[in-house]
Amino acid sequence: MAEILSSPLFGIALSIAAFKVGLWVNQKIRNPIANPLIIAMTIVVATLTIFKIPYDYFEQGASFIVMFLAPVTAVLALTVYRQRSILRSAFLPIVIGTFAGSLAAMGSVLFLSRILGLNDAVVASLIPKSVTTPVAIALAEQLGGLPALTIASTVITGLSGNLLAPAMIKVFAVKDPIAQGVGIGCCSHALGTTKAMEIGDVQGAMSSISISLSALWTVVLVPLLF
Amino acid sequence: MKYLAQLALIFALCLVGDLVAYLLPVPIPGSVVSMLLVLLLLVSGLLKEEHLGESADFMLRNMTFFFIPPGVSIIRYTAIINSIWWQLILVNIVSVIVCFAVSSWTVMAVLSLQRMVGGGRRG
Repeated sequence: MAEILSSPLFGIALSIAAFKVGLWVNQKIRNPIANPLIIAMTIVVATLTIFKIPYDYFEQGASFIVMFLAPVTAVLALTVYRQRSILRSAFLPIVIGTFAGSLAAMGSVLFLSRILGLNDAVVASLIPKSVTTPVAIALAEQLGGLPALTIASTVITGLSGNLLAPAMIKVFAVKDPIAQGVGIGCCSHALGTTKAMEIGDVQGAMSSISISLSALWTVVLVPLLF
Repeated sequence: MKYLAQLALIFALCLVGDLVAYLLPVPIPGSVVSMLLVLLLLVSGLLKEEHLGESADFMLRNMTFFFIPPGVSIIRYTAIINSIWWQLILVNIVSVIVCFAVSSWTVMAVLSLQRMVGGGRRG
């Protein structure tokens, strides 16, 4: 049995199956809490635990999937490129807004982490967590963080942004649709953007472009600040 | 063959990104350099969307899938998570609120500045 389970194909097949179930449940329940990534992770962890399969066996296949994180990040450039007309429609508000937002996200993480006494590896994992996951993972690794913690944080962040967006719009009296969209995309990447799209077309488009712009700003700011 | 060629091109761009990152004096991840490189090539027109084509779209559509294995590695850090779970949630939620407030208010400020300047020109 060990020969079969330690084959890289096992980890790959298990991940694909878990992802399929995650997507299916997400489509059935239609609630951001039923996050396909969390469901898939839970299924994999449960499978390994229940059948007492060593993590090392799973990692044989996992390493092939992880290898694709770099190409996935590289082709993210396509999404930025495809949104250039939206960017032109409100260039300065988007560029300056995402700059301020990225600084605020990293600053607040750093400030709170220090107050709460979190250690350096945890802080490094949290600093880039507001941006799109592949970029966040890459930056966290560079800073000496734990990618697993970064992924958990990007999901918590995305879900919070998604769930809190309507309340935050009211509390902070953000009436302008461009400001609403940039705010949501900047603070909660793709998971928040699904909510922005529900709120309106302008908000959705602004939120999408802000994912890219805040990622770019964070990439520029991290080496300068840390 | 078309898909293989697209994949080969994407992988080659990643390797170039890694090389540039290695040569740069600032610490920046190779994958991020590759992203900036691809963006630069697209904007300059040297690279066309169809060169990356279906292979790139496949990766973008299924992006979440690639986060499953690194996410699962969280089971190696259960001790850390158990000791700081509420701090993690607190930091994440508070920073979301701060980031939203700052970015949306900055956008509103820039928009009203632009209106003032634009209005001034017309008047």
